[in-house]
Amino acid sequence: MNRQLLTILLLAFTINVFAQGPPITTGTPVMLGLEGNGIRTFGKIISKENTNIYVQPIGIPYNISPKFQIGGILPFKFITPKRAETNGGIADVTLFTKYQLYKKDEKAKTFRVLANIKQSFPTGKTSSIPQIGSGIYQTYVGFIVGKISSAIGIYGDFGYNITSNGASDNFLYNFSVGVPLLPQKYPQKQINTFLEFNGNYVFNPKIHTLFISPGLQFIPGRRILFETSFQMPIVQNNISTNKTKYMLLLGTRFLIN
Amino acid sequence: MKKIFNNTAIFSFSILLLCLLFSSSVNAQTDTKKERVYIKIEIKGMACPYCAFGMEKELKKVAGVDNVEIELKEGLAYISTPISQKPTKESLEKIIIDGGFTVGTIEFSSSAFKRTKTKKKE
Repeated sequence: MNRQLLTILLLAFTINVFAQGPPITTGTPVMLGLEGNGIRTFGKIISKENTNIYVQPIGIPYNISPKFQIGGILPFKFITPKRAETNGGIADVTLFTKYQLYKKDEKAKTFRVLANIKQSFPTGKTSSIPQIGSGIYQTYVGFIVGKISSAIGIYGDFGYNITSNGASDNFLYNFSVGVPLLPQKYPQKQINTFLEFNGNYVFNPKIHTLFISPGLQFIPGRRILFETSFQMPIVQNNISTNKTKYMLLLGTRFLIN
Repeated sequence: MKKIFNNTAIFSFSILLLCLLFSSSVNAQTDTKKERVYIKIEIKGMACPYCAFGMEKELKKVAGVDNVEIELKEGLAYISTPISQKPTKESLEKIIIDGGFTVGTIEFSSSAFKRTKTKKKE
């Protein structure tokens, strides 16, 4: 495991190659400007000790202006507990907005800071066992930061998630390093590799989870992108039962217009 | 005799007409090439393929533009239009800003700019 991690880190930091696409499990600070609308969907398999979960969200962002983006995420969730039938349906719908607070552009590089607000609604059913939705309203207030150059992309997002109905608030944080594997030309096929970290700290009771997520992205043309990420837990403090074994993401993004 | 003369005259006239048509067509093509304006736009912050796609899409909407070439590594876009449809610097600046990027220099030229990449066939 340590040797694999070292190899990934060495690959990420020693290959001198060029620009990349958006990170897979971390927010991106690049909004594609006026009319830069696109669609993202992915399938995510979450394998736990006693449960398997499949999540299929569809995210549609829309840029109102070069600095201001709104969007919605409609997730479908299917839960299969051990020795029990699958229960599935629409989970909690989320609306989000991103606003660009700071931008510094240079030749083939950019540094951007965005404010990010998400509002989740308890649209997923909670009457079933296991329940599909969380049953609570959640408001996330955070920031997305990213520095993209012709050689490397470094991204981070973090924020505080306020919950309703006496559920505990939590702090979410993600970090990503992206390195392209092919020379920088446009239009041309792109293969990008990412090393990401996805953390969640719940305040009451104190639960901390952190995943390491190596990922790969393939851009075959102008409008479409395919990506995959494998998330392995490295910290799961104060979780005694039904720990996560791994998460696997397979997804696509495409630009319309 | 008169018939032969008539046929020769018609044939000669046809050849002359074809030559004139061909000559004017070549001149027209040369004029069209000559009358284009070439534009090099520096787009700061364009650091990813998706960013380039957004810019390509918007620049193709400029009147008279039929091809956009992007040099991602250099942060440059090249377009050309017929001189009669030459866009203003301000209109190009607006496209870049609306696309979410920062405008660098915009150069206009009567001849094509030298590129570091191979020119794509139009």
